[in-house]
Amino acid sequence: MSNREALLRALREQALQIRRNTWRALRAAGSGHMGGSLSAADLLAALYFHYLNLRPDEPDWPERDRFVLSKGHANTALGAVLAQAGFVDDGFIDTFYAYESRFGMHPDIKVPGVEMCTGALGHGLSVGLGMALGSRLQGKNWRTVVMLGDGELQEGSNWEAAMAAAHLAPLRLTAMLDYNKVQQSGHVAEMLGLEPLADKWRAFGWSVRECDGHDMAEIVDALDALPAVPDKPTLLIAHTVKGKGASFAEDTYLWHNNLVADEVYEKAMTELGEPA
Amino acid sequence: MNAPQQGNGAEPAWVKAAASQSRLAFGLAVTELGRRDERVVAVGADTLDLIGLRGFIEHTPARVIDVGIAEQNAMGVAAGLATTGLRPFVCGYAPFITARSMEQIRNEVAYADQRVVIGAAASGVSLAVSGGTHHALEDLALMRSLPNMTVLVPADAHEAWHATQATDEVDGPAYIRLGGRVPEPPVTPVDAPFNLGRATCLAEGSDVAVIACGALVAPAVAAAEELARQGVGARVLNMSTIKPLDEDAILAAAEETRGVVTAEEHHLTGGLGGAVAELLAVRRPTPMRLVGMPDEFAVVGPTDRIRARYGMSARHIVDACLDLLG
Repeated sequence: MSNREALLRALREQALQIRRNTWRALRAAGSGHMGGSLSAADLLAALYFHYLNLRPDEPDWPERDRFVLSKGHANTALGAVLAQAGFVDDGFIDTFYAYESRFGMHPDIKVPGVEMCTGALGHGLSVGLGMALGSRLQGKNWRTVVMLGDGELQEGSNWEAAMAAAHLAPLRLTAMLDYNKVQQSGHVAEMLGLEPLADKWRAFGWSVRECDGHDMAEIVDALDALPAVPDKPTLLIAHTVKGKGASFAEDTYLWHNNLVADEVYEKAMTELGEPA
Repeated sequence: MNAPQQGNGAEPAWVKAAASQSRLAFGLAVTELGRRDERVVAVGADTLDLIGLRGFIEHTPARVIDVGIAEQNAMGVAAGLATTGLRPFVCGYAPFITARSMEQIRNEVAYADQRVVIGAAASGVSLAVSGGTHHALEDLALMRSLPNMTVLVPADAHEAWHATQATDEVDGPAYIRLGGRVPEPPVTPVDAPFNLGRATCLAEGSDVAVIACGALVAPAVAAAEELARQGVGARVLNMSTIKPLDEDAILAAAEETRGVVTAEEHHLTGGLGGAVAELLAVRRPTPMRLVGMPDEFAVVGPTDRIRARYGMSARHIVDACLDLLG
């Protein structure tokens, strides 16, 4: 097996584990945001176990790359990947929604590895822009990646940040869009359509690349090719499926955020190849 | 009331450059901090001249970032910068940099407890001719309601300079309320260091206490002089830190006088008067009168006439004191 094949295999295994741990956290809480966590699992695996330069045993390492989960409601998946990477103990996953836990519905900056309190939608790109500026102003080489949700692109503040990032470039800044096409109350295209999305970002001065957000080879190739164009911030549009990996939850707003009874958990885990 | 004391040495250059305007003194102080500390960054929203940051731009253009007319983005960028160890000062118009970016301030600055200093110019009705869209009469209520936030209201350009310098010692977020283009009469000394969290007593008296901030400090001093002519001794406290509140000074004023009058260029809900009333209602119920902007939007006009029309003048403070004393 080539090194590349070994890498892809390891990343796919981490992604599978993120999905399993996501359901584990959701069952512990009894409910939560499964749809947008499951769509982001492959992307998070590629970021945390391939692309981002991090030290889980030294989470505040000044030279680390920065990652901001702007779509903070996918915190279930973030908690899973932070545990898998070793920023927090494995038991952290079981504290989702628990009293006095640091693992609530949305990311908390006090958790090792979490860079900002996010989840109020439309905020993350501005914060990432500030981090990227901080890197450049201090003569550093670390990079910033912001994961955006598609629904949150309806928030105008994203477009303020997008315009400013292109204007203030060069910056080591990438926005990664988890484009799962579904938001809380329905399909994005029906709620407030984003298309032609790539054209909009190009018009705002960004370089745009697209990939299948569930094809690990495509994700890794897209990340390894960053920045897509020197001196421009990159938007990586990752086409994904809401609720990926749980057939009953895929491509439907009904599983954006829902209750998770034991039978739901068992069904999901069975589909992920691990009978509960 | 004595005129503000001058130091023995020559007048610092910033005094003349600030031209008795707190917004310019803030910008000059940020520039000075930026010369000493390369972590200091100014973030503007098409507001760099409003705040007087040309000197900083000339000195270190790379550390002056103006994101254009986009307050939400300015605040998010500042928070992001702060996480990397830099010390951002966000400079904006008070009505917009607070209300427009309130959610960013709450989440990324206050909740995330980032060391971001917000300089808010043109507060109150200092841009009164602009109309209600451009008045900032609720900003203290907004900022004061946020955990972790320090809230400062300098009384003049001198105090604005020292208050800005004092934020160097603040670990978390801070808000500094600044004036507009109307000159602010000096009421504090050029050379007095800012004692964060401590009120300063500008006049002694034991009949009534006037607790004022910002643009209403000078009228409070004038009111005390008028009251003295009428045989009433008014203590005047310059409450330039609204949060954390100088509880000791307020409780002492309540104990040692017959009542407390607050005075501010802010709505009567949620500002200095609210803060003092919240404290006294629980700790030492005290007769009070609140001087400030009533629950309505102001008409257009010159700032001094708008202040007078809505009850924010020395005469109104005198009347409130006399009413309180019966």
